[in-house]
Amino acid sequence: MTFVIGVDVGGTFTDAVLDDDTGQMISAKVPSTPANYADGVVDALAALATQLDIGLDALLAGTHHIAHGTTSSLNALVTGNVPPVGFLTTRGHQDSIFIMNVEGRYLGSSPHELQAVLGQTKRHALLSKRHVVEVTERMDRDGNVVVALDEDSVRAAVGSLIAAGVRSIAVSLLWSFRNPAHEQRIREIVAEIDADVFVALSSEVSPRIREFARHATTIMSAQVAPGLRSYLSDLEARLQAHGLAGPVLVMQSNGGAVAAHRAHISAMSTIGSVLTGGLVGAGRLGRQLGHRNIISTDVGGTTFLVGLIVDGEPVRRSTTVINHHPINVPSLHVEAIGSGGGAIAWIDAGGNLHVGPRSAGADPGPACYGQGGAEPTNTDANLVLGILPTSGLLGGRKQLDLEAARAAIKAKVADPLGLSVEDAASAIYAIQNAQTADLLRKTVVESGYDPRNFVVYAFGGAGPAYCAAYAAEVGAGEVVIPLGPVASAFSAYGLVSSDVVLTAEMSDPGFMPVDPARAAANFDQLEVQVRAALDDQGLTYKSVEIARSVDMRYTAQLAEIEVDVPGGPVDADAMTRLAADFEKRYAELYGEGTGFSAAGVQAITFRVRATGVLPFSPEFPRLPQAGTHDPAKALKGTRKVCLDVRVGYVDTAVYDYEGLRAGHQIVGPAVIEVPTTTVVVPAGMTGTVDALGNLSILTKES
Amino acid sequence: MAMAVPGSEYFSSRPVSPEQIYASLPQSLPVHTVTQEQIDALDPLTYEVVRHRLWSVTEEMGEALKQMSGSPIVTDANDFDFAICDEAGQEVQVGLYNTMLVGAVDLAVYWTLQHRAVNPGIREGDMFLCNDPWVGGGLHQNDVIVFQPVFIEGKLFAWTSAVCHEPDLGGPGLGSFNPGAQDVFAESLPTPPVKVVRDFELQEDVADLWVRRSRVPMLVGLDLRAKVGSNTVGRRRLLEVVEQYGADTVKAVMKRMMNDAEARMRAKLAGLPDGSWRATGYQDQSHEGDRNLHKITVLMTKAGDHLTLDFTGTDPQAGMINCTYAGMRGGAMLALLPILAHDIPWSAGGLMRCFDLVSEEGTLNNATYPAAVSRAPIGPAWLTGQLIAECLSQMLDQSVDLGASVQAACCGTWDTAIIAGLDQRGPVPVPFLNVFMEPMAGGFGARPTTDGMDTGGLLCIPMGRVPDVEMTEFLYPLLVLWRREEPDSGGPGAHRGGVSASMAMSLYGSHVPAGLVFASAGKAVAQNTGLSGGYPGNTGLEVIARGADVAAMLAAGTIPQAMSDLGVELELENCYQSSYLAPGEVLYMHWQGGGGYGDPCRRDPASVAADVREGKVTVTAARDVYGVVLVDGSVDASATRHRRDEILAARQARSTVPDGTASVDGGAPLDRSAARRLDDNLFVVDSAHAVGCTHCGRRLADLRTDTRLQLAVYEGPSSDAGPQVTSAPETYVDADVVFRQLCCPGCWTAVYSSVVPREHEDHIADVTRFAVAAQG
Repeated sequence: MTFVIGVDVGGTFTDAVLDDDTGQMISAKVPSTPANYADGVVDALAALATQLDIGLDALLAGTHHIAHGTTSSLNALVTGNVPPVGFLTTRGHQDSIFIMNVEGRYLGSSPHELQAVLGQTKRHALLSKRHVVEVTERMDRDGNVVVALDEDSVRAAVGSLIAAGVRSIAVSLLWSFRNPAHEQRIREIVAEIDADVFVALSSEVSPRIREFARHATTIMSAQVAPGLRSYLSDLEARLQAHGLAGPVLVMQSNGGAVAAHRAHISAMSTIGSVLTGGLVGAGRLGRQLGHRNIISTDVGGTTFLVGLIVDGEPVRRSTTVINHHPINVPSLHVEAIGSGGGAIAWIDAGGNLHVGPRSAGADPGPACYGQGGAEPTNTDANLVLGILPTSGLLGGRKQLDLEAARAAIKAKVADPLGLSVEDAASAIYAIQNAQTADLLRKTVVESGYDPRNFVVYAFGGAGPAYCAAYAAEVGAGEVVIPLGPVASAFSAYGLVSSDVVLTAEMSDPGFMPVDPARAAANFDQLEVQVRAALDDQGLTYKSVEIARSVDMRYTAQLAEIEVDVPGGPVDADAMTRLAADFEKRYAELYGEGTGFSAAGVQAITFRVRATGVLPFSPEFPRLPQAGTHDPAKALKGTRKVCLDVRVGYVDTAVYDYEGLRAGHQIVGPAVIEVPTTTVVVPAGMTGTVDALGNLSILTKES
Repeated sequence: MAMAVPGSEYFSSRPVSPEQIYASLPQSLPVHTVTQEQIDALDPLTYEVVRHRLWSVTEEMGEALKQMSGSPIVTDANDFDFAICDEAGQEVQVGLYNTMLVGAVDLAVYWTLQHRAVNPGIREGDMFLCNDPWVGGGLHQNDVIVFQPVFIEGKLFAWTSAVCHEPDLGGPGLGSFNPGAQDVFAESLPTPPVKVVRDFELQEDVADLWVRRSRVPMLVGLDLRAKVGSNTVGRRRLLEVVEQYGADTVKAVMKRMMNDAEARMRAKLAGLPDGSWRATGYQDQSHEGDRNLHKITVLMTKAGDHLTLDFTGTDPQAGMINCTYAGMRGGAMLALLPILAHDIPWSAGGLMRCFDLVSEEGTLNNATYPAAVSRAPIGPAWLTGQLIAECLSQMLDQSVDLGASVQAACCGTWDTAIIAGLDQRGPVPVPFLNVFMEPMAGGFGARPTTDGMDTGGLLCIPMGRVPDVEMTEFLYPLLVLWRREEPDSGGPGAHRGGVSASMAMSLYGSHVPAGLVFASAGKAVAQNTGLSGGYPGNTGLEVIARGADVAAMLAAGTIPQAMSDLGVELELENCYQSSYLAPGEVLYMHWQGGGGYGDPCRRDPASVAADVREGKVTVTAARDVYGVVLVDGSVDASATRHRRDEILAARQARSTVPDGTASVDGGAPLDRSAARRLDDNLFVVDSAHAVGCTHCGRRLADLRTDTRLQLAVYEGPSSDAGPQVTSAPETYVDADVVFRQLCCPGCWTAVYSSVVPREHEDHIADVTRFAVAAQG
């Protein structure tokens, strides 16, 4: 028996999923352990072993690999809990990281925050000015040396940083992605002075044009890489001591994994690892269900995450924002579009009802948690509407206080608007659905697609209560709610099913048509680089897939569009096709006739992505067939539920998920209680339990 | 000044009420509207759901425009905006980019409804293009708007619009800035609304006519398509909303959004004391060769829930530093949106009902045709906004709650410099033109409780950005020697103004001289004034190291880090000037930081020490301006106390105490138990009819007898303000420009500190503003 295990460390829970490659899949959930997250990982593995009736050592001895998703680096960055790092850059340009292109004032802010200019700050600088030192050197845009590296200035700079207690140094020089010689020499000099000082070079971390984002990416990398390296090597050593045979892999934001012992080299790529697990899982499940276009929605207590799969491939992006800084990380595009179950309903000065974006979080949480929360949340509204049982979630472990929910809604929403508590709750539910749909639609449309051609997947504790409504609102015909054995650990399922993915990129800005020989040389160099890196992982692959792309734009546009370059020779024909593909994609995004090739097309950044396919393809196990459409055996009873303000409270069937079998059909209005979530099937819709235990709701009457 | 052109008033757009619009339209153009009953009948749920959807539609339009534009001015500086208007042109929802454009967009729609409805007609599938600042849509000719009527079942339902700044639209000056212009005929040609799209099809003849005028026709062509595309997105999405909710419901929501914004703004105003506040500011030089100061003055009166902005007394239009009515209105929006409406949705059509503009025709910020107006948004409209902001700050500083929106002046202008020459880096030399976008990194003004943001940007473009050096060097044959925050450029104060940045660059890969155009202000007088005794931020400065050979220095391994390193005579550039940059020479630009708040001698010494550590303030300024003595980077407390006493004593020694001071300086300090805050330095006791000094309690005026606060006055050379005054005023203007400081004659705390012409009137000391407030 060979196991593959995914372990996803979140802020509150550590989830694990195990696949035995023979159709069995199990999951476990244990509390996370912030003091040392490795403890929670071991706890989760032990919980899996217990379910299999074997010891931890036996489990690990049979494990091919463990795929690990961790928030530790992201948490460190967001909370500022990072060691002091030094930063060396080109003379005359030390302030780039403080000027932040001005955009550092507002990047990553919500619309409310954007409008309140006077409420914004730049207090989130990555480091103090005294830790930034200029060195004398200069390259031009073609990588020619304008001023040679003054090695004495480097020695003085490094000496001053080490004297100030710095043990990790980021180096990012102007145009280093065109000629990395000066950066590489600086690393040698640092090693001569103190070989134990960690060095991150921008020409390796992020060889991309635009120095502000490159500086920020390199600095953050220097901040998290040493900590990530020691965390992962400790974890791996600990698991090896328990007999782990295979490697530990770490999930990256590009949707694939990397070997733990190599992860610090591309530390920033692990930042989004917990965000992407769900999207990878949705892609894998979609393959099993035959869905090519998926809107993946993951709704937790505080966030609402959305990602897209188009024609079987997740939609990617090349830049993200962390702490108001633009960061160069090729990643799956997962956007936090709004708020989750804890979002607070409130009345603005004009007497208008809003939901979110502020959240009650886990503490104090919604009013109905009885932990002192006085603000009404989505969860409170759902309780008043009867969608949630007062016995609460988690299999009834958390009793919910209906009176507290009613009191909060009455005081903060119903009384000010002159509504009954029930109507106010209903309005909160409807606004949450409509706004979610607006943001979903905007995300899909701005990516150049029509939501009506998509199936919506919904997971996370708070999603299934709303998903049928927001899917119908954006015009998607079907919603899938994964409810199988790993539903509560869907991100960890994504980890189990991931392959190894490595990305290499370099900017070589030029005007189209780019000399094919130059483009071919760029791709060749990048491919050699990623193939070598794949070999360094110490894994065996079933196959290696190579994908190439170029970021392109018209003349001086701000944003580039990533255009795929199919396999085959990179010749003049390929360049012509590339230009045409760019214009086609541009027209998809912005409309026919908006492009203007006479303005000139530029190719900016070349990218190669290599996927080392692992010899596993975990699939959801099958559920026994019910043999009938009628789910009467799973009926728990009925209660008054209000799903539509125009209809009011009606007797609604409540089903126990544990009793459902493949083929059962649930006619709305209905509520399905699952240990970790509550599913709503609105009136006029029908849900069907599929062969894998997922609930599929058709949003339109057939 | 050029003679007025008879007939030009036809093109002057003014706000028009919906009723007047309806009455003016031909029967061939039916409009869709709703009754007040329909608006009132909206339930809160539908309202919020549709409102959010309309917000989402507007956002999508803006995102599309931004992604598609090829002008660095749009993509890097975010100098653009977009709006959805109702059938009568009132702005329902606007973008968060260049907020001055909000004051201009609706004017173009009103004008089009009045003058295009019959011939050539306003039909489904049309889009209009306009860059006539008298008509509106933008503030100067470089602002080009494309706007589109949206029809539902044959009735005019709404308008969508997209406007952005184009890099060059012809005329004699590079970038369409002609520093010598004295009338509009010496600038880019204004184009009133013309149908650029007909029956959903871009009209190639009109598009060609349009791009032909530009030095960069390809960029202008791409941007034209971007604006058409953005409008197409807006129309498609709007129709989807109407399909789902019905035209009447959506229209009722649009009207109510504006009513709601209006009601909230009125409620906020009604909660403040009534009063009048005045502010006066200057532009130095009006065009190449001019050496005068040009004044804009505003009296802001708040009565009940309404503001009146009266610009009477503003100087006549001059040179190229004028703006049309659209510019004056845009300037008002620049101040009102972030300061008064940061927590109110920007349904601008409603917000604009809360204020009136009063102004004389033919003045700097209400210029009549054919005034030259290419500086409009970045000169006169900007100053208009700064002055309104100064009045608003004085009004709000009385309230502890609303004091969070009080801010000293931010960077006071857009420091325009345009370079054009030959890029010889590739196999074939090609011409290039670059409008420097780096001056976006201005400093923000200080506030009563916090420092101004360093290189925070520009208040009028909430989402502006500066380009990366690498993008500049990739696109243009330039080498940027440095781009850095400038110490001491933030206005000193108890809370410091945000520092600005500077940049030095030379030609690189271009072996012939490049042409330069400068258009700026604030080099002789302060445009970034402080509040409550805070000092102004730095004056602007442009310098060329004429005859330098930077290539030789670089080849020898030296990267110059100061203009003095270049070893040649430095040439100071006028505010308005045509010039050139030869290979080897270095151009240095230093734009403005923000003003300070409160007396710098009252700044926490530890904050001054931190500023020195982080390179925001020099050791010299710490000692001379803040009175803080540092030893090895740490505050020497006793030396600091001593130094501050010296500064106060020096103020006493150099100041004149006005006659009549004896009438108020006797007696015990005022009883402050019933005091009402005016700002950090002043309080008023209504029952005692007295204004006093917060710090020492001294009575500064008896409101029954005095017309002015009894403050000590000092006037000296502008350099007395500190190292942020970077060049002598006489370099630029003939007027006598001084550093003026008013202090409390009791404790010598600075109550007002600025760099102004000697004849400048001090509004700060005028007690009528308190008298009015006291009555209210």
